[in-house]
Amino acid sequence: MIQKLLPFLTLIALFVGLSIASPDHFLTQTNLSSVVRQTAVINLMALGMTLVIISGGIDLSVGAILAMGGLMGTKMMEKGYPIGLGVFIGILTGCFCGLVNGFLTTRLKINPFIVTLGTLGIIRGTTLIISNGLPVHEIPQAFSFLGEGNFLGVPFVLWVLVSCAVAVHIVLEHTRLGRYAFSIGSNPDAAYYAGIPVAFHTTAVYAICGALTGLGGMIEASRLMTGQPTAGQGYELQAIAAVVIGGGSLRGGEGSVVGTLIGAFIMGLLANGSDLLGISPYLQQAIIGAVIILAVSVDELRKRKTSRT
Amino acid sequence: MLLELRGIQKRFGGVTALKDGNLTVDAGEVHLLLGENGAGKSTLMKIVAGLYRPDGGEMLWKGAKASFTSPAAASAAGIAMVHQESLLAPHLTVAENIFLGREERLPLGWVNRRWIQTAAKLLIEAHHFPLQADWRVERLSPAGKQLVEICRAIQHGSSLLIFDEPTSSLSEAETKEVFRIVRALRNRNMGVIYITHRLEELRAVGDRVTILRDGETVHTSALKEIPTEKIIQHMVGRPIGSLYSRQPQTPGEELLRVEGVTRKPLLNNVSLSVRAGEIVGLAGLVGAGRTELCRAIFGLDALDSGSVHLAGKAVRVSSPREAVSNGLALIPEDRQKTGLATALPIGHNLTAADLAKVSRMGFFLDHAAEKQLAGEYIQRLRIRCDSHRQLAGRLSGGNQQKVVIAKWLVRGARVFLFDEPTRGIDVGAKVEVYEVMDELARSGAAILMVSSELPELLQVADRILVMRRGTLTGELPGRTTQEEIMRLATLHDGGTLIGEQVREQ
Repeated sequence: MIQKLLPFLTLIALFVGLSIASPDHFLTQTNLSSVVRQTAVINLMALGMTLVIISGGIDLSVGAILAMGGLMGTKMMEKGYPIGLGVFIGILTGCFCGLVNGFLTTRLKINPFIVTLGTLGIIRGTTLIISNGLPVHEIPQAFSFLGEGNFLGVPFVLWVLVSCAVAVHIVLEHTRLGRYAFSIGSNPDAAYYAGIPVAFHTTAVYAICGALTGLGGMIEASRLMTGQPTAGQGYELQAIAAVVIGGGSLRGGEGSVVGTLIGAFIMGLLANGSDLLGISPYLQQAIIGAVIILAVSVDELRKRKTSRT
Repeated sequence: MLLELRGIQKRFGGVTALKDGNLTVDAGEVHLLLGENGAGKSTLMKIVAGLYRPDGGEMLWKGAKASFTSPAAASAAGIAMVHQESLLAPHLTVAENIFLGREERLPLGWVNRRWIQTAAKLLIEAHHFPLQADWRVERLSPAGKQLVEICRAIQHGSSLLIFDEPTSSLSEAETKEVFRIVRALRNRNMGVIYITHRLEELRAVGDRVTILRDGETVHTSALKEIPTEKIIQHMVGRPIGSLYSRQPQTPGEELLRVEGVTRKPLLNNVSLSVRAGEIVGLAGLVGAGRTELCRAIFGLDALDSGSVHLAGKAVRVSSPREAVSNGLALIPEDRQKTGLATALPIGHNLTAADLAKVSRMGFFLDHAAEKQLAGEYIQRLRIRCDSHRQLAGRLSGGNQQKVVIAKWLVRGARVFLFDEPTRGIDVGAKVEVYEVMDELARSGAAILMVSSELPELLQVADRILVMRRGTLTGELPGRTTQEEIMRLATLHDGGTLIGEQVREQ
């Protein structure tokens, strides 16, 4: 039980440790808000990635989807369409990319690692072609509210994140889609033999992941107030890391929303704490890498203890 | 005395797998190790083979105290194990597998392929094995793979060979071939430990017998001195009604009709019919096309020609999804791989084929309804478990099989295809599976049952169809004999079966 709670305890320990080590800077509203804002984008992607990983897949293209979503959304705004429509287009773009991933994985029966490695390149390349490599700057000022604004005293992105997390949690634990994701990830053959529409649900999972990533892309664009065709590089690995630290298994069939949130916040606090304590960003990367390995080995030990073989 | 085990103990976490394991094996004998699933046979053998360390007791190897810390150490001492699941490298050839890890050492890790090839060829020929040194292992049948493992053991100069249920995936003819080889090994003065579930095959091969129950050795004697009923009694711990027998009933309307089903080269113009309340057995050697027929009916493989009729209506079944929605159910040969999600709770497995039953508005799950439904079926099929939240993989083989069956009951299936329903299941639990099948038949289901265990078919089936190389060769009444079935299954069949399968692939 202790070991199952370990990610959560680590998060608390980090929080308490940083409060003690850097009381003047860490426990301020500005700093905590900025942690939330920084982590929100990775968090949203990680929520989608949780679904994908539970269903036994993986999505390496989310970083590229983030950029394409952000670019398409801001391009709409540049052309004078309302902000709401721009955000919607960003999400829709992400959703479409996810559909393509799902379609290729299920219809051509190609390993998702390969499919999304390919679409990573295709989506990033397409984004660069559409934008000619140039960022979108002409964005209405009001758009910055999405990434930087406050609502009822807390960052607006926190509301967005919490709503998405609750929604994904409900999907996972209380809907057929979620149950099928677990079944497919746990044993795809048994799911197929049981008459579960495996291809449909796998595709749906990738589409949801794409949509959440598109939303993340809009938040990223809003924070930077540009639509960057090069945004989100390397984010896919952070999203996967958050899921894995939170107890998700790359073999499929395991993972939870709460775990993923904790995983993403552990990485966010590690980065923030290192900044505050003046630890070099080079060492930061190594620390986060070590945490990933540590988290997974603890989890493996726990599983080995509870099962006989 | 080759091997002596005294009071071996082994615990896994809180579970005691072995309390008091005792066993002696002499050179030149085949020693049968019997017991139900979970009795500790495999654990005891894994300790001998260096895969597990014992928590207590002692092991004497050739008269001296021994404790193997790794499979390599046991193998170096002359102990080899042929595992239930093949532990070979599938992409390498037979020869490469035989010499894997034992290649002649040349500079720079260079491998002398020609030498390996020739040495393997000599070894295979010396024992008259139906193998070729340059065949790729992935293309071999389970029996062929076991032969490769046996070759490995002989090549390593082992003096003790452990077989862990070698025949559980073999046909009768292949089993005979394995027996011939086991006897040959005995004649070369090797010691053989032979674990099995199939009581009917004991007499063909064993000299002495040791029976384990609940982690303790309860009986050791010469095989000749103990009748089969007594063996069963020792295994189960109580006398059971000698063998299962079933009261057939008058069949109702025809539920499943298969007409001229062909899928080259494995199925050729197969026609059959199963009526409500009937259990029809499907016998044949491994590779005869029985599993393929089930797969084709269930929509897993496309048909070249032929048709499937359910309750008098022709249906096009091109995916399991369509099969399931037409009331078909497949209890597959390999439970763990295709029947169950072992890492998920029992409850999830039970409702996997019909989530709609426990959904609201077609999308949201009703956990309370699921719990109730699961409880109902756990009770109805007497699935022994802690609760519906227990992971399916933690159940015994028999109870796992009941979960697979219950999944289809939840769905309300009416035509059941059972493919080797009792493979790897305890003697006691087998009877429970038969009882469930009988109940199904009584409630009006039509059952087609594939089995390689002839006594089982004779006990359970109302009629028996026999297949050979993709065609039906005959139909026999339920009260026929094993000899009659084998005659139809092997009709005009010369040649060695293992080799034949490889060529057909």
